[in-house]
This record gives sequence, structure tokens and C-alpha cells, in this order.
Amino acid sequence: MIDLTDIVLLSRFQFAITVFFHFIFVPLTLGLGAVVASFEVAYWKTKKEKWMKLAKFWGNLFKINFAFGIVTGFAMTFQFGTNWGPYAEFMGDVFASPLALEALIAFFLEGTFFGIWYFTSHKKPLLKAFSMVMVSVGTMISALWIITANAFMQNPVGYEMAADGSKILLTNFGELMTNPYLWYMLSHTLLAAYFLSAVFLVAISGYHILKKSNADIFRISLKIGVYIMVISALLLPGLGMFYGHYVGEVQPVKAAAIEGVWESGADKPMYLIQVPSDSQGKNIIELLPIPYVGSFLLTGDFRGEVTGLNDIAEEDRPPVALTFFSFRIMVVLGIAFILQAFAGLFLVLRDPTMESSKARKFMKLAIYSLPLPYIAIALGWVVAEVGRQPWIVYGLFRTSDAVSTIPAIQIIFSMGLLVLFYLLLFVLFLYLLKKAIVAGPEGVQEHA
Amino acid sequence: MLEHELLINIWFVLWCVIWAIYLVVDSFSLGAGMLAAFMPKNAGQLVQLAKSVGPFWSGNQVWLILAAGGTFAAFPLIFSRMFTWLYIPMMLLLIAIILRGICIELIYDGSNKKLQKVFQYGWALGSLLITVVLGVAFTNFFRGMVIEPGYVYAGTLLGLFNVHALLGALLFVLFFVTSGALWAAHKTTGELSQKCAKFAKTPAIGVAVAALIYIIALFNTDGFAVNYNDYQFFYAVPLIAVVFALACIVLTLKKSDKPFLGFLANLGTIFFGAATGVVTLYPAILKSSISPEFGVSIFDAASSHLTLTLMFYAAVILVPIVLVYQLWSYTRFKEKIAEGEH
Repeated sequence: MIDLTDIVLLSRFQFAITVFFHFIFVPLTLGLGAVVASFEVAYWKTKKEKWMKLAKFWGNLFKINFAFGIVTGFAMTFQFGTNWGPYAEFMGDVFASPLALEALIAFFLEGTFFGIWYFTSHKKPLLKAFSMVMVSVGTMISALWIITANAFMQNPVGYEMAADGSKILLTNFGELMTNPYLWYMLSHTLLAAYFLSAVFLVAISGYHILKKSNADIFRISLKIGVYIMVISALLLPGLGMFYGHYVGEVQPVKAAAIEGVWESGADKPMYLIQVPSDSQGKNIIELLPIPYVGSFLLTGDFRGEVTGLNDIAEEDRPPVALTFFSFRIMVVLGIAFILQAFAGLFLVLRDPTMESSKARKFMKLAIYSLPLPYIAIALGWVVAEVGRQPWIVYGLFRTSDAVSTIPAIQIIFSMGLLVLFYLLLFVLFLYLLKKAIVAGPEGVQEHA
Repeated sequence: MLEHELLINIWFVLWCVIWAIYLVVDSFSLGAGMLAAFMPKNAGQLVQLAKSVGPFWSGNQVWLILAAGGTFAAFPLIFSRMFTWLYIPMMLLLIAIILRGICIELIYDGSNKKLQKVFQYGWALGSLLITVVLGVAFTNFFRGMVIEPGYVYAGTLLGLFNVHALLGALLFVLFFVTSGALWAAHKTTGELSQKCAKFAKTPAIGVAVAALIYIIALFNTDGFAVNYNDYQFFYAVPLIAVVFALACIVLTLKKSDKPFLGFLANLGTIFFGAATGVVTLYPAILKSSISPEFGVSIFDAASSHLTLTLMFYAAVILVPIVLVYQLWSYTRFKEKIAEGEH
């Protein structure tokens, strides 16, 4: 049961709810934004009507997604102050600069040029294309800064402890920007966003091809989607492997939780079927071992030495089962994504009209598979953030020390309000998205 | 390299300037939002009103985020305490921001009339809530909060909504509604434009009346006038605000065919009105109503020299760039907006 007076837990729940809700909208903002910008540029360059139709249709979906995405992002900035005051005071000197730079560089670009793009007609294709490119660039710069901040929480660099130990101070901004964690996490996040956006392109294009509405147009976006799927689905585990080795190096406890390794030692196998138990401090099921792969995944060396969770004090361990299963399911989904991507590639190359019965099945399946990349991304964040526990800043500052002293009842009130509000918004989002998808390119109004 | 103390002072000024810019640039989108509750006669006029601020509001709103982010980067302690002590108002502000933002982006599609009505009142309610929270919060900052030694907040939620703070909320509403009405009058044509120009006269006069009571109450608050008494040239700031407010009344009444002039005058009032309040905060952005030495001073709250230097150069380079392209964006939408077909 949840202890309703535990303000650490309440504040963590509230943060989790707001950040997961916000992240429903982030991947499309990043990926679909870049695609729409490309369509706008293609129309400006060629003046071909097909690009305008594509830009209008996908731009309309982007617009709905963006409207929800931008404003829900404020929730985190607010909570650093409202619920995580001691964290803000401890970390502000280092952590807040990337956030302020994000507003200065990225949010202004996004906000200002989104307004221009939204209210500019295709009669001015250059301004339309330029403003959408600026929006898309803004979204990526935003990702860079927020992940710079997050990477510091994972792997603190470029700081020193203040003389009185009350806070940390920035010593080297360059180290903040060259933190390897930042670049692993950023590329992983962007690739995942592009993959999700590609599935979105394929699923919704497929829907219209199946309905035979504007099939000529939607074959283009389906093909683009399939290509992006293939590239991102392959790069994700490729880069992910190095990311994993790196996590093993700088966050050994998180890495041990990811693989469910309890006893220290070398030559660790990986079990295909495994169920770790936090309470018993071991795996209650271990089946189908693959020799040495466990060591390899965590260290990059098949015979590598791995620290087991039982050699870590219990209060320094993250929730193991949650981290473990989140990672496992993400990886299984990642493998399924590769198969899906190659099935799509095979079908598109063999028959670009997508009229075969197999192609029809693929497209139907794509529609139902759309929630999966969302789930995979959410699980990835669980691995990153729950796996970091009990630290809010890895090895430096505990989550339990970071929380503001707010009466529990006020947190329950605000969380209840947010949950209700977000549920309404989510229903509204799905309704509007579905309506815009069904209406097709003809249903798009321009507001210039 | 600038000296640390100087840098902290510069950041205080930057903090004030960023907030004042925010209040100025969001005043008319928030004002138009509040007007949306009753001004448009039909869906066509609603869309017309929304379009008058549509291309600009989201870029303008970023100034608020910069104000929050800038506070966090330059004065982490103040950021933390400000948001924690105002927990419930800040959460309401957050919900209001989300409500306003989503409603105004989606209001243009008239294919579902019921939903459009929801967005209309959502936009209005969100705008009103943002304005009220800002008015209440700033009044509490100007008056000082119940801060005990060691930066312990001893105030109550109800205490934040005292009469003076509610008057502050009313003042902000009047300011922003004036701003929104004059902007809409300038930016649109036809019936809506005329109605807005006519309507603006009442809140423009209301601003002057409410501001007078509000200011007198402020100067009678313990500790408010300290900086004014120490540096008497600061009295120029409220004087300029008064001149702008009077200009706004005269222009709105006499030159209702040129609402843009009254609009600019009102923006001037907002800018210098905000300045009137914030100059009294120095050197503690969060003043204590118990005793001046209990407030959270910018010198105790400031970030390290490196962070302040870095963020100073970032602000000095980037803020002008942002201002240039934001002003440029207004030149892309010069045409006046006619009533839509609905």
C-alpha cells in the first residue's frame, strides 16, 4: 500500500505522472516535426502539390501533438521548485543553467516560429518552410539541454562541493557538455523518437492506403516511415550496446539491477528467463543461460568482472525487479521492432503499391502496434530514472533528502487535480488526433 | 571578469527586466483570453479574437519560463523557496498555463461547435487564473511574506489571499483586459474592433483607480518604501507609470480610432508599474514582513561566479536576438483580421 503521509513517495509519484504524461507528446514533436519540416522544404523547393498535401496532413497532426506537448513540459520546471526545493538549492548552480539556456535558445525558437508556421499559408512556401525548420531545430536543441541536465543527474561531472557541503558548484561547463552520458542518452532518445514517429507515419499512412483515400500521397509517407524504421531500429540496439557498457562503468549498481546480477564475479551468463526478487535478494527463476553474455553486456568483455547487488548495501540499491523487467521488456520490444521494420522494408521494395494481402496485413498490424514504441520509451525512462535510485544525483545526493517539506494533503490535492485534468486532456488528445487522421488531407483548414 | 557583487546586482536587474517584459508581452494575450468569455458575439468573432494573438502568444509565454529558469539559474535558493512556499498557487498557475495553451491552439477548428465553446471558456478561465495568481503572488512579494529566521515560511495559504493581494489580482486583470481590448481593437476590423475599442475605456479608467488605492496601500506597508527613501530618484519610476496611465486614459477616450496608441501607453504603464514594485524588493527578492534581515537576499541566494558569468553572457547575447526575431514576427502578420465565416 502507498503510505499517504510519505511526502517523498507522493512527490515522486507526482513527478512521474507529469513527466510520463509530457513524454507522450515529446517523441512526435521531435520526429514528426523533422518530417513535416522536410515536407515543407520539399514543397518550397519543388512546388509539387503532393508535398503540400503531405505537409498539411502531417503538419495538422503535429500541431495537435505540439499543443499538448509544449505546455505540459512546464510541469517539470515548476516541480523542481515546488516539490524538490532542497534539490533545487543543492543542484541549482549546475543544473539550472541548461534549463535556462533551453528556454533562451530552444523554447523561444519553438514558440515564436510555431506561431509563424501555424498562421502562414502555403502561398508563402519559403516562410512556411523556414519557420517549420526553426521549430524542428528548436525541439532538438531543447532535447540537448534537458538531457544535458539529466545526464548530470546520472553521471555528475564538472562540479565541486561547496566548502560547507550544502550545495555543488559549477567548475567546468565544457565537461557538462562533453559528459559521455549526455551523448549516449541524447542519441538513444532521439533515435527512439524517430522510430516512434516512423511507426506513426507507417500506421496512419497504412490506414489511409487501406481505406483507398489519397493512397498515392500516403504511399510516399509510408515508404519514408519504413526507411526511418529500419535505420532507427537497427541503430538503437547497436548504440544501446555501447550505452549499456558505459552504464556498467559509471553506474555499476544500476547495471547490476538491469541484468539482475546478485553475486559478484566474472564470466556471468545471461538467463533468457529470469525473475529477480528484491525481498529475497536473488533470482527466484533462472533458466536458459547463455554463457558469458551477461558479463559482455555489462562490461563489453565476455569474461568481465561484475559487481553483484548483494555486495551493495541494501539502502544503495534501486528497485531491482522494476528496473530489470522494464529493461527486458524494452529489449524484447526492440527486437520485435527490427522484425517489423524489415517486414515493412521487404514489402515496400517488392510492391510499392502495398496492395498484396501480406502488405495489407502488415499495415493493419502497424496500426495496432502503435502503442508499443510508446511503451518501450516509457520503460526506457523507468530504467534510467528508477534504476538511478536511491540517488537523485547518482552517488551524490539522495532522493529522500531532495524533497520539499509540503503538507502531504497539499501534494495529494495537486496530484489529484493533475490526474483528473490529464485524463481529460488525454481523452481530448485522442479524440482530436483520431478526428484529424480520419478527415485526411482534405479536412485540414489553414488559418492564414 | 566582472566582480561577483556587481554580477549579482546585474542579475537582479535582469530578473526585473525579464519579468517586466513577460508582463508586458503576455498582457494582451491574457487580456484577449479573458475577453473571450463575453466579447465575441459568435464563433466568427471568437476566432477573430483568437487570431489577433494566435501567432504571438506562445513565443511571448516563453518569457515566463525564462523568468522561472533565470531565477533558478541565478538565485536557486529564491527559486526553491518561492515555488515551495507558494505551492498551491503555483500548481494552479501550472494547470492554468496548460489549460490556456491547449485551448487557444485548438480553438480555430469550428467543426465541433460544442468543443469550440469548451475551448472558448477554457481559454478565458486559464487566462483569468494565470492573471489572478500573478497578481496575488507579486503583491505578496511586494508586501513581504511571513518569513522567519533561517528562511522558514510561517504564512498560511489563506494569508496569501489577503485583501491587498486580491486588489492586486483585480489590478492585474484590469491591466491585462485593457491591453487585450486595445490590441484586439487595433488588430481586428468590423464589429469586434469597435466593441473592443469602446469597452477598453472602462478598464483603462479602472486601472488608474485601482492602481491608486493599491499603491497607497503599498507605501503604507512596513518596509516597502525603504529603497525609495534611500534613493529618491526611484520616485521617477511610479511617476512615469502614472504619466503612462493618464496617457492611456486620454488616448483611449479621445483617440478610440487609433487604439494602438492607447495600447502602447498601457504597456508602458505595465512596464513601469512592475518596476515600481520590483525596485522595492532589492536586495531580497523574497522580503520578510517580520523583519528585513529575515528575507532571502540575492547575495545569499546567488549562484557561483562561473554560473552567473556564463548566464550573463548568454543572456546578453541571446535576449537581443530573441527580441529581434520576435519583433520581426509581428511584421509577418501586419494585416488586420476580419471576422471569420461561421
